[in-house]
Amino acid sequence: MGNSRHLGLFLLIPAGIFVFLFFLMPVVLTGIFAFTNMSTATGIKGGAYMITESSMLSMTGEYGEDVLAERLLQKVYTIDEAGLAAALESGGDAAAIKELKTRFLGEVFDNRRDVERAIKALNARPSSTRAIKLISANFERSVVNVRFETEEELLFAISDFGISLTEIQIEAVQKVAYTGWYFTTQNFKTMISLPDTKKTMINTLFYVFTTLILFNVGFALVLSISTHYMGTGTAGFFRSIWLLPRITPPVLYVLMWKWLAWDSGFLAVILEPLGFAPRNWLLDTPANAWTFIILINGIVGASMGMLIFSSAIKAIPDSLFHASEVDGASRMQQIWHIILPQLRWPILFITSYQTLSLLTSFEYILLATNGGPGGATEVWALATYLKALSNYGGALQYGYGAALSLVLVVIGITLSLIYLKVFNFANMTSKPKIE
Amino acid sequence: MKRNKNLLATLITSTMLTFGSGAAFAAEYTISVWANAGSLENYRIDAIKIAADLLEQEYAIRGEELTIIIDGKTFTQWSEFKQAVTLAAEAGSAPNIVVSGHEDIAPWSQSGLIVPIEDYIDIDAWPISAIYDNLMEIASFQDQVWGIPQDAESRPFFFWKDHMKAIGYSDADLDGMAEAVRAGEYTLANVLIDARKMIDAGLVDEGKGFWPRPSKGGDYWQFYTSFGGKMDDGEGRLLFDKTSMAEFFQFFVDAVELGVTGKNHIGTPWDQWHGALTSGKVGMWHGGTWQYSEWTGKYGLDFFEEVTFSLIPGGGDNGQANTLTHPLVYLVTAQDDEDAVSISAELIAIASEPRINALHAIKSAHLAISQEETTIPLYADDRWAREATAVLLPYATAAPNNVNFGQYFEVMFGGLQAAWTGQKTVDEAIADMETELKAALGDKIVIR
Repeated sequence: MGNSRHLGLFLLIPAGIFVFLFFLMPVVLTGIFAFTNMSTATGIKGGAYMITESSMLSMTGEYGEDVLAERLLQKVYTIDEAGLAAALESGGDAAAIKELKTRFLGEVFDNRRDVERAIKALNARPSSTRAIKLISANFERSVVNVRFETEEELLFAISDFGISLTEIQIEAVQKVAYTGWYFTTQNFKTMISLPDTKKTMINTLFYVFTTLILFNVGFALVLSISTHYMGTGTAGFFRSIWLLPRITPPVLYVLMWKWLAWDSGFLAVILEPLGFAPRNWLLDTPANAWTFIILINGIVGASMGMLIFSSAIKAIPDSLFHASEVDGASRMQQIWHIILPQLRWPILFITSYQTLSLLTSFEYILLATNGGPGGATEVWALATYLKALSNYGGALQYGYGAALSLVLVVIGITLSLIYLKVFNFANMTSKPKIE
Repeated sequence: MKRNKNLLATLITSTMLTFGSGAAFAAEYTISVWANAGSLENYRIDAIKIAADLLEQEYAIRGEELTIIIDGKTFTQWSEFKQAVTLAAEAGSAPNIVVSGHEDIAPWSQSGLIVPIEDYIDIDAWPISAIYDNLMEIASFQDQVWGIPQDAESRPFFFWKDHMKAIGYSDADLDGMAEAVRAGEYTLANVLIDARKMIDAGLVDEGKGFWPRPSKGGDYWQFYTSFGGKMDDGEGRLLFDKTSMAEFFQFFVDAVELGVTGKNHIGTPWDQWHGALTSGKVGMWHGGTWQYSEWTGKYGLDFFEEVTFSLIPGGGDNGQANTLTHPLVYLVTAQDDEDAVSISAELIAIASEPRINALHAIKSAHLAISQEETTIPLYADDRWAREATAVLLPYATAAPNNVNFGQYFEVMFGGLQAAWTGQKTVDEAIADMETELKAALGDKIVIR
């Protein structure tokens, strides 16, 4: 007994690994990312410290340190003894450094390219650009546009440049010069302040519940009950037909809908003689777009409910149907009094499973309307994807995207708990009273 | 499989080394190059292959044995390409060379994904020194040159000649169209009027008088510029000029109301778009210089017979005719192996030589990156390259290299789409944009 219990635990290990890798880890990471300003520009692994024109905007804007910002932005390159010694030490070409000393010692330049041009003008010029950089890097006395890996290096360079900072200024410099991500609740403040957030949420609820009620549960029930009353062969045929959309690759499936709907497509052609001007039926109005999106998702989604409900109906003992027929029950009465009560558990399962799946599914919307027309069909999951992983300008907003998906996680868990309560899960899994 | 091949190659090379060649130096590098490239844009990667061949020979003359294997990978969607590059870089497996839009320089340099190319090659030396200054400027950020322009292009406005003649323009008018647009005599207001005339005359269908680009693109900033808008303030801040933005949105709303442009035009499939405008089903449109090769090739358009082109017309009193150039740049990514970075940079320099770059320019109908390139016979003999360079390039603007521009772009396009499709009024769209930009960018953007 004890052995088999251990065996059970052992057999659960693969499942445990999957749950950890594909559920717990993503959820925890989403939770962490959501409270950061992570983006392509900040990188994920951490940042460096840079004084730039852009970071100095925050210095003047947020801290009012105009004078300091201006001094930090100065560019000074001096050919001095210290620099020459450092150049030699870092492995610079000795002959070039010697000639540089005799010809340029004491000269001050205001940009690095001029220093390098001076080096390139030497008779003993080093042969490669990298060798020139190795020397020129040592004469920079200013800090602007230099990448410092740690804040100590930056602060040291600033003091070396002859600028002494107060405590408050040090803090300001550390903050604005850092190029990496930091923890913040700004994502959620932004989310609340944006007018489109509310619209996206309403879109999402509309999409999820309309598709769920009309198709994933409603139409699935119609299919499973109607096929229940057909002969085995006919029923199998119709069920197979309704399974086809599910096994069609999504890209092709949506492409067929697009062919149906676009302005030289099937719909436009057959409706034109009836007096409807050709138009893109998919994107013409938000109502059109929604109709198509719900159909596209619903027709795929209904098949899963159909399978589950059909097998649940099959599990109902035939004797119940025979007895009810003897009692003179109509088909409607059979459905109402025998089938539906027996389907409570499958309906709960399909409702909660499909709610969560619809909440997070956006692939058909992405392929069909990409949120259009004008954002009218942008649902939460699509907005998350677009923010976090798709940016025309290459600036992905990982942090904001994670904050958006955290909202989905919370909604999903809350809804699951509500379903369990409403459908009285504990009652359904309690031990049978008869046995 | 590929790895095995590489391993095998390495083994063979090292065996050969041990047993004979006696060269002082031998090394093998696999340089990966990723590009977003259409079917005619193979030279984005092939130019690097040619360069590799030349560089190997240069090393051989110096008595050094160098083997370079170019591992190219192409994408066809911008957002997919950029997603792949950024995620690969975060995972520590960035390709050595990336061919991307110049606007990526700001965010990618800040995150340390790319390194300044001028740290590895002499930008004062040919062929880099010959590249147009404004293109080099576009490839620079924070006083450093990060990339080398791989091509130039611009985005003109096109007119279908027969339809223009049918509503009263003479051949002479059409020949002078580019100049009339440049001088501000023909404006976006004329575009709407003429497009409507074409529909009323039955030349084109309702909604096909003026057909803009059917998808998201930098092209739309041109209309903001047409109404006097500027993308940045020249001091590192982005600039959101509400009046210009509103006039720009209003232009598209008017186009829909007049019936010259479809309300749901964005999302039209590309092949449908190309097909319609190369067969005279559209009166006016705007596109890119590079589309010339597709139109004349795949769609068989007799371009100079049927079409004339100009800058994007100006909008109002403050605006002006303009065009946007969006050069792609060769970028080198940060790698542990500094020698590989250096080799990558050298390859890019060679690939930028006029004769090699001209192969890409002419095959894909892009524009030259240097004055010298325009004198290469392949380029000079091409009428489109010649005329497009003269009419467009001198007036081309470019999007700013700014860390936050990508975000501004998305917000702009969201606002435009909402107004265009009637989901929001122009005023609502502008107000929502302002809220979003303030929240997202704070003092990094000037709103006025």
